[in-house]
Amino acid sequence: MLVAWRYKQRNSLLQSFDPRAWIIFFSCFLAGTVVFWDFRYLLFFFAIALLFVFTSRIPWKDMSRAWLFIIGFILFFSVLTFFTGRGGMELYTTEHTLTKLVATFQIFGWTPTLNITAEKTMYAVSMLIRVFSIASMTILIPYSFNPAHYGIIFRGLGLPDKVAYGMDLTMRFIPTFGRDFSLTMDAQKARGYEIEKLGGGLFAQVRKLAPLIVPVTIHAIAGSEDIIDAMDLRAFGVGPRTWLEKLTYRKRDYMLIGFGVVILLVSVALSLLGFGKFWVPAFLIG
Amino acid sequence: MTSVKPLLIDNLNFRYHSRETLAIKNISLSVDAGQVLLIAGASGCGKTTLARCINGLIPRSYKGELTGEILLNGKDVTKLSLAQVSQIVGTVLQDPERQILGTKVANEVAFGLENLSLPREEIIERVAEALDHLKIPQLLNRETFHLSGGEKQKVALAGVLAMRPSILLLDEPLASLDPASAQDALDIIRSLADEGMTVLMVEHRVEDVLRIHPENAIFMMDGEIKYYGPTSGFDKTVDYHEVKLPAEMIIERAKVDPAPQRLTTLRKETVVGRGKQMGEPLVMFEDIAFWYEEGRPVLHNVNFTINRGDVIAVLGPNGAGKTTLVKHAIGLLKPKSGRMTIDGKDSSQTSVAQIAQTLGYVFQSPSHMLFAPTVEEELAFGPTNLKHSKEVIPQEVANALEIVNLSGHEKYPPLALSFGQQKRVSIAAILAMQSRILVMDEPTAGQDYKNYLGFMDSILQMPGFDAILFITHDIDMAVIYANRVIMVNDGTLVCDAAPPEALKKFDFLRKNRLVPTSLLKTNLDLLPKTGRFYSAEELAHVVH
Repeated sequence: MLVAWRYKQRNSLLQSFDPRAWIIFFSCFLAGTVVFWDFRYLLFFFAIALLFVFTSRIPWKDMSRAWLFIIGFILFFSVLTFFTGRGGMELYTTEHTLTKLVATFQIFGWTPTLNITAEKTMYAVSMLIRVFSIASMTILIPYSFNPAHYGIIFRGLGLPDKVAYGMDLTMRFIPTFGRDFSLTMDAQKARGYEIEKLGGGLFAQVRKLAPLIVPVTIHAIAGSEDIIDAMDLRAFGVGPRTWLEKLTYRKRDYMLIGFGVVILLVSVALSLLGFGKFWVPAFLIG
Repeated sequence: MTSVKPLLIDNLNFRYHSRETLAIKNISLSVDAGQVLLIAGASGCGKTTLARCINGLIPRSYKGELTGEILLNGKDVTKLSLAQVSQIVGTVLQDPERQILGTKVANEVAFGLENLSLPREEIIERVAEALDHLKIPQLLNRETFHLSGGEKQKVALAGVLAMRPSILLLDEPLASLDPASAQDALDIIRSLADEGMTVLMVEHRVEDVLRIHPENAIFMMDGEIKYYGPTSGFDKTVDYHEVKLPAEMIIERAKVDPAPQRLTTLRKETVVGRGKQMGEPLVMFEDIAFWYEEGRPVLHNVNFTINRGDVIAVLGPNGAGKTTLVKHAIGLLKPKSGRMTIDGKDSSQTSVAQIAQTLGYVFQSPSHMLFAPTVEEELAFGPTNLKHSKEVIPQEVANALEIVNLSGHEKYPPLALSFGQQKRVSIAAILAMQSRILVMDEPTAGQDYKNYLGFMDSILQMPGFDAILFITHDIDMAVIYANRVIMVNDGTLVCDAAPPEALKKFDFLRKNRLVPTSLLKTNLDLLPKTGRFYSAEELAHVVH
C-alpha cells in the first residue's frame, strides 16, 4: 500500500494528552525555541523533545525512514551553512579563529581556505539543536494522532466547522490521491516513461513531470464534483454541526497547557531581559 | 391516510445554463411507497439530470432554467431547504469512492446526522441502527479506504439510510460492483422497498435490475421519456441497443432486424494474430509467485502462456490477484519466484520500457494517462520514450489514429474528447508503440451497454494485435469476445479453458463470485446447435 496511516494507539505519554492540549503546548514550545540563541537554553527544549520521543513507543523500524530523511536534511544544511560561513552574521561581529584549513590544491589560482571560528561553530551547534528539537516533536504527530480526529481537534481549537471539516476531508482523500498517483505512474511507465531519467534544467524537468501531474490533477478536479455533491446531499454547511467524536480536557491536559504557557512566558520574559542571546563558551575564545 | 404520493413530477423541463438545448423535456411521473421505479437509458439520455432535480442539487448546485413541478410528499422541492430535502430523498451516487467522506465507517455514516446537528447520543444510535439494518455492524470501526467495493457501497447506503429518508435515489448503484456484490446490493434494495421505502434506481444494466422485479420502469432517450409503465411492457418498446436487456428479450427483438455486421465480417480468431503462425507462445508464466509480505503470497503457482491469437478474459473476485497478475505481464512487478519470459527473454532482465514494446497496457480510465496538449503529442509520447527514430514516429501516430478511426483529430486536445474517443486514444497510444499484445484492465467499466459493445467490437477488428488479454467482472464480455477464459481466485489460476468449458458449471462460477447471466444460459442451451458462444444479437440470426 502506497499510503498507510502510521497512527496506532500506543498508550504513549504523548497520546495520554488531549490532542488539542498537545497542539497548544507544541505551539508554545515552538515559540520558545525561536527566541533563544544560547545553546544552553536550547538544550532545555531539546530535553523535552527527547522525552516525548523516548516515551512515544513507536518502534524504530516504523520511524526510521522519516528520521533518516530529517537527519540527513538537517545535517546537510548545517554543514553547508558551516562551510560557507553564511548565517548568523547579525548575531556576532567578531570571529575568533580556532583553526584554519587550507586546501593543498588550487582552483584557477584560488586556494580554498576554511576559517573555523568559535562563533561559526557555536552558531552551527545552536541551530542544529533547535531544528532537531522542532523536528523531533513534529515527526511524532502523524504517528500519534488519529487521522479521524483532525477535524474535531481543529474545531476544538476554535476554527469554524467548515474549515475544521476540511482537515478531515484532507485526511480522507490523501490515500485516494496516492492511489490515483500510483495508477498514473504505472500507466505512464507502461508507455516507456522513466522518471529516473529526468534530465535537463529545472524548467525541462517540470515539463517532463507533466505526464504525471496533468492526469492526477485532472482526476482530482473531476472527482471533486462528486465530493461536493455528496456533501450537499447530506446537508453539509446548513448550520452548526455536531461532531461525532468528542474530546474532553482532563486535569493533565490543563497541566500540559499550563506548562506550555509558562514556558512561553518565561522564554519571552528572559529574552526581553537580554538572556539567552548568542553565546560562545569562554574557553573557545581563549 | 389520503393518497399523497411520495414523489410526483409534473411536466418537468430543465436546461443547464451552459447548454443550448434542454437536458430533460416534459417529464411526468409518480411513484408509490414501497415501489421500485427503474429509470433506464444510455449515457447522455438525461437520467442523471432527472436525478439531480429530484434530490435538489438542481437548481441549488447546478444552475439553469427549471420549469414544471416536483412534489416530495406533497411539498414543492424548490420550497424546501437542502437539509429538509436530504431527510426525504437519500441519494447514493455512482462511485462510492468519491462520496465516502469519512475516514472511518462510523464517521461516514454519521456525516449527514452531524450536519443536521442532532444530539451525539442519537447519532450513535442511528449509526448503529443503519449498520445493523444492512447487516454490516462489524464494519463500524474500519477505515473506509480499505473496504471492498461492495462494502463501500453498503456503507454509502448506510450513511443515507441513517438520515431516515422516505425516498431512496440510486444512481447506477451496480457500476463498480462485481456480479455477486451487485446481486447482494439488489437484494438489499428490494427488501428496503418491501419495508415501505420508495426506490428510484437509475441503471442501464436492466437485465440485473429486472431480477428484483421493479413495479414500474422508465426508458429515457434524448431527455425524454420513451416508455413509462409496468416493467412487463418494457421489452416491447425499449431500444435493445441502448440498455442491457436479458438475452431472451434481445434475441426476440433482434430477429426482425438485419443481422449485426460483426457476424458477417471479421470474427475474433481471424483478426487477432492474423497472417502469422497461430498458437505460438508469446508470454510464458512459469510457477510465478509474488508477495508484498513474506508468508502472505498474493500470487502463487501461476502457470500459463499467452499464445498468438488468444483473446483472454481474466475473471475472478476482487482482491483475488487479477491486477497483480497483469502487472507481472507488463513488468511493473517482478516475480519473487518462478520465471516469466516475454518473446523468449526473461522478464527479470528487462525494464518496463523494453516490455512495453511487446505488451501494451490500457488502464480502466483514460483520464489516468492522457496529459498532452494534442492527440498527436499524446500518441508520440510512447514511441519517443522507446527511442523510435524521429522519422518513423509520425507514421506510427498516423497509422494508430487510422486504426482507431480518429484520423483528423491530430490537433485536438485529448481531454476535450468524449469518453469513448478518449478510450480510443488510449488504445491508439499503445498501437503507436507497436506493442503487439494488448492488455486491458476493466475496459468497459463506466460505459453503457451500447458504448461498450461498440468499443470491444472495434478493438477486436483492429489489425496489429497478436493477442489480447482483459480483466473483467462481466461474464458476458467473456462469452461474447474471449476465446479463452482464465479464472483467478486466492492468488492462483483455478481455471484456464475455452469459454464453453470454463463457464458451464454454475456452482463453480458462484464460488468465484460470478453470477451466470441470461446470455450465458442461453448460449449453453444452444451450444449443441451452435458449437460456440455468440452475442445475443448474433444468436437471433444464427439459430432459426
